[in-house]
Amino acid sequence: MAPITYLEAIRQGIWEEMERDPNVFILGEDVGVYGGAFKLTEGLLDRFGEDRVIDTPISESAIVGAAIGAALMGMRPIAEMQFADFISCCFDQITNFAAKCRYRWGAGVPMVIRAPSGGGIHGGPFHSQNPEMYYVHTPGLKVVAPSTAYDAKGLIKSAIRDEDPVIYFEHKYLYRRIKEELPEEEYLVPIGKADFKRRGNDISVITYGAMLHNALEAATLLAEDGIDLEVLDLRTLVPLDKEKVLESVKKTSKVILLHEDVRTGGIAGELAAIIAEEAFEYLDGPIMRITAPDTPVPYSPVLEEFFLPKTSDIVRVAKQLAAY
Amino acid sequence: MAANVIMPQMGESIFEGTITRWLKKVGDSVKRDEPLFEISTDKVDSEIPAPASGVLSEIRVKEGETVQINTVVAVIDEQGRAQAPPPTEKAEGPHIAKSEAPSRAKTDKVEATQGVRSSPLVRRIAKVENVNLSELEGTGLGGRITKKDILGYLEERERVAEVTRPIVQQAAEEMAGTDGIETDRIEVVPMSVMRKSIAEHMVASRRTAAHVTTVFEVDMTRIVNLKNQYTQEFLSKEGIKLSYMPFFIKTVSAGLKEFPVVNASIQDTNIVYKKDINIGVAVALDWGLIVPVIKNADEKSFLGLARASVDLAERARKKRLTPEDVQNGTFTITNPGVFGSLLGAPIINQPQVAILCIGAITKRPVVINDAIAIRSMVYLTLTFDHRLIDGAVADQFMASIKVKLESWEEKLF
Amino acid sequence: MDLTKKTLLDMLYYMKLTREIETRIERKLYRQGKIVGGVYVGRGQEAIAVGSTILLEKDDCICPSHRDMGAYLIRGMSPRVIFAQYMGRKTGATRGKDANMHMGDMSKNIVAFVSMLADTVPVAAGIGLSFKMRKQKQVVLCFFGDGATSRGDWHEGLNLASVQKVPAIFICNNNQYAYSTPIEKQMAVKDIAVRAQAYAMPGRTVDGNDVVAVYEATKTAIGHARLGGGPSLIECKTFRMTGHSAHDDVKYVPQHLFDEWEKKDPILRLETSLMRDKIATEEDVKRLAARIAREVDEAIALAENDPFPEPHEALEGVYADQVIKPPLSIADAFFPQRK
Repeated sequence: MAPITYLEAIRQGIWEEMERDPNVFILGEDVGVYGGAFKLTEGLLDRFGEDRVIDTPISESAIVGAAIGAALMGMRPIAEMQFADFISCCFDQITNFAAKCRYRWGAGVPMVIRAPSGGGIHGGPFHSQNPEMYYVHTPGLKVVAPSTAYDAKGLIKSAIRDEDPVIYFEHKYLYRRIKEELPEEEYLVPIGKADFKRRGNDISVITYGAMLHNALEAATLLAEDGIDLEVLDLRTLVPLDKEKVLESVKKTSKVILLHEDVRTGGIAGELAAIIAEEAFEYLDGPIMRITAPDTPVPYSPVLEEFFLPKTSDIVRVAKQLAAY
Repeated sequence: MAANVIMPQMGESIFEGTITRWLKKVGDSVKRDEPLFEISTDKVDSEIPAPASGVLSEIRVKEGETVQINTVVAVIDEQGRAQAPPPTEKAEGPHIAKSEAPSRAKTDKVEATQGVRSSPLVRRIAKVENVNLSELEGTGLGGRITKKDILGYLEERERVAEVTRPIVQQAAEEMAGTDGIETDRIEVVPMSVMRKSIAEHMVASRRTAAHVTTVFEVDMTRIVNLKNQYTQEFLSKEGIKLSYMPFFIKTVSAGLKEFPVVNASIQDTNIVYKKDINIGVAVALDWGLIVPVIKNADEKSFLGLARASVDLAERARKKRLTPEDVQNGTFTITNPGVFGSLLGAPIINQPQVAILCIGAITKRPVVINDAIAIRSMVYLTLTFDHRLIDGAVADQFMASIKVKLESWEEKLF
Repeated sequence: MDLTKKTLLDMLYYMKLTREIETRIERKLYRQGKIVGGVYVGRGQEAIAVGSTILLEKDDCICPSHRDMGAYLIRGMSPRVIFAQYMGRKTGATRGKDANMHMGDMSKNIVAFVSMLADTVPVAAGIGLSFKMRKQKQVVLCFFGDGATSRGDWHEGLNLASVQKVPAIFICNNNQYAYSTPIEKQMAVKDIAVRAQAYAMPGRTVDGNDVVAVYEATKTAIGHARLGGGPSLIECKTFRMTGHSAHDDVKYVPQHLFDEWEKKDPILRLETSLMRDKIATEEDVKRLAARIAREVDEAIALAENDPFPEPHEALEGVYADQVIKPPLSIADAFFPQRK
């Protein structure tokens, strides 16, 4: 197959699942006739009809609430948030209804909420957020965030087939910027498994989302200075692949936790605690975090560039850590 | 069976209630769900029904009293059932969550840091591999010992070990008896109890004390003459053979009185001074070695010492020593000179801090007043524990013994 | 009317059973300390859940609220399971995981509600959507009170249900008070049914204490929905004859309102009309009460002796395929140390 973009990969994944299972359907704002704000769902309305590709009013609570209801009846809804930033409008439905059904009364809610997240597109405070941690913090939900086209397709398929609610954060910066050749035959990427995107011996960089690409770029630059990075892509935030995280840290003894999300409450803190608790005697240097600062996402390009973690940040911190 | 009547929780934030009126008295019969008492709380006043049928046997909380929720306020004796064990303070019911402070604290020993900058990883490796971090040079930030540094050190150490390993291995195998060779050229015999005990004691002593040996040469001519002069008389008058031992024991006793530290022992970081001077004299046996002790040697006369040493040696050979005979020694004298040894460097008899070794008394040419004379000379060696006794003290002790021996004045009888 | 004798007698049974169970819960078990936490009953509003739910077929769905015990009973949830639920036992509807009326059972098509009332409204819209998409004839009844109609989710749900024309019937139990807030402080409209116009769906106000009136209004709405006509809103006017919860002393409600509505008690009204129409005698009513009392006694006796769940069950059931490990502090208390 010719190389396809990250966006196209997600569409393919959805398409394949809708062909395979008549219970799968999409609902959200502008997903049908318009093909989605980012054109991700383009073509689906023509193929699958109005019944299965539903243009909804601007009602995030109703979109997710209806998805929950349909899922309780055994359907497989994919609810789209136009921008991940709007997911806060249905926070209650997600965290108090969907997340707790199985625990309270044994009822599964096999729905997917897709949310285009992340910055770097001059979107400003309400079109660039990384709200994943509110949901990582809520027991009963699964949260995934693919970084490559391969993972994006495999994970959307797994998410749709999962018996529990999955929030799928697709990084909008990556939509058209990365292109990969994908296998012809069907494949799934399992939820809950991290992936080593680069193996190395000196420093572990643990990350997810668009930052993966910055990490790989940094690795190439650092290799010239004799610093060999290992890069672990989490792919899923909940359930976390603690095993691979600890495996990597125990090997290199030095770790950088990298994410585009703001510092406080970001998953780097959680990972740092796990590493300190369970791999303390394997550490040959302090646990380092590279994250955005604790501010809303600014708009002006100069400000946003300052805000987002950069490849040069990774290189600088890695060199300091290597010299420790 | 007794049924507890409890103060209910009338609202999530309520934690106590007041009894305003009892509707029944002790001894009254009560039907389940029948109103039993009235309460007042912050939120609501309420009539409370009985939880069981029977006879109200006890009222524990009076009208007007305020108690916490779940407190047992009364007891109903349900008819026709055996007495239950005494009711507990709080009624059993759904658990209200208690938070327990984590009782597990990870204790990382401060000793582990060894006072050198490293990292948790490096310290763990050092602990496991028995590395003294102060022996390494750190190449990390600020001279920190890094993972690379310690792994490099271990590699080097391994390389050295590689070379010496075969040699050490063979010795170890032979010693442990794991080399597995038993041919007609080699015979394996298990050790006796005494042999095992001596083996352990010797090695332990070497491990414990800081052994240092000093050698003195003593002119024994005067004492040799005395002995030759009085041997016959001793034998006929006292019935015992006169040897050189009592001369040595007497002078050593005096020396120990002068230098009590040589008669002491060490306990942790304390010096234990002993008032009793109990001198052990090593006796060679056909089957091993034993050190019977002459108690309070400083209080005995020359004759007493002669008798004691002969008696102990005899009893030792006849295996008639008692436990008291070999206990509580504070100083030991060993005498390999009888076998011809000129000079020894013995091992200290724990828990003592010194041991005197007497070599063979031989005639030697020596220089006196710039002329050569033939004198009976002996080498005396003192092995002492340098933890407690410094060289100067040891030598002063020995010098005092030398003087006493060379200028023996005392009467033998 | 085409209401059968059987249906009328069934409705009486369920209303009286509801009343008896709720009385035991609120006025006995709770005050005896056998139920902890919150207790919410629908005293005086029994006709609403019963008159509507009695119409449903097996595959229809309900999204009840906390004043709708009758709906659970009609759909097959047993009194024993309900008592065990209230007392936090393993045999309760949620195995101790949730409290009081927060019960659900998809095998009986009962959806468990959450404390954020009105959350079930969009969920009901989604359930209706699934019936429509699969071209099924089922309907879903969604119950809520006057208070819930002030929430955003309520409006979003009705809006989506109406624009998608789903077979959902929204039933409002307007008992005039949301906790301590009377209806006049909640909304400017006099009748909640008026709001149906905003969503272009039929809206009706009925006497919520007349079980037959509730029955007929619901029957019409169900017929409309099954024919593909879309959702309806039925407002049932009634009165909350007790506190918002069992620990509410209701001092904010004027006593004369209680006296007034006492006379309009739904159970009393049905009994009176049945006896008047010679469908039941006084003897029948007495015997029914005794039978119900026995049933409830038995259920309580069983539930009281049911075991509590094991402590470690607190970790179970979060996901279908993942096991939640205890944090170290809890692990030491309940699980053997494994190294």
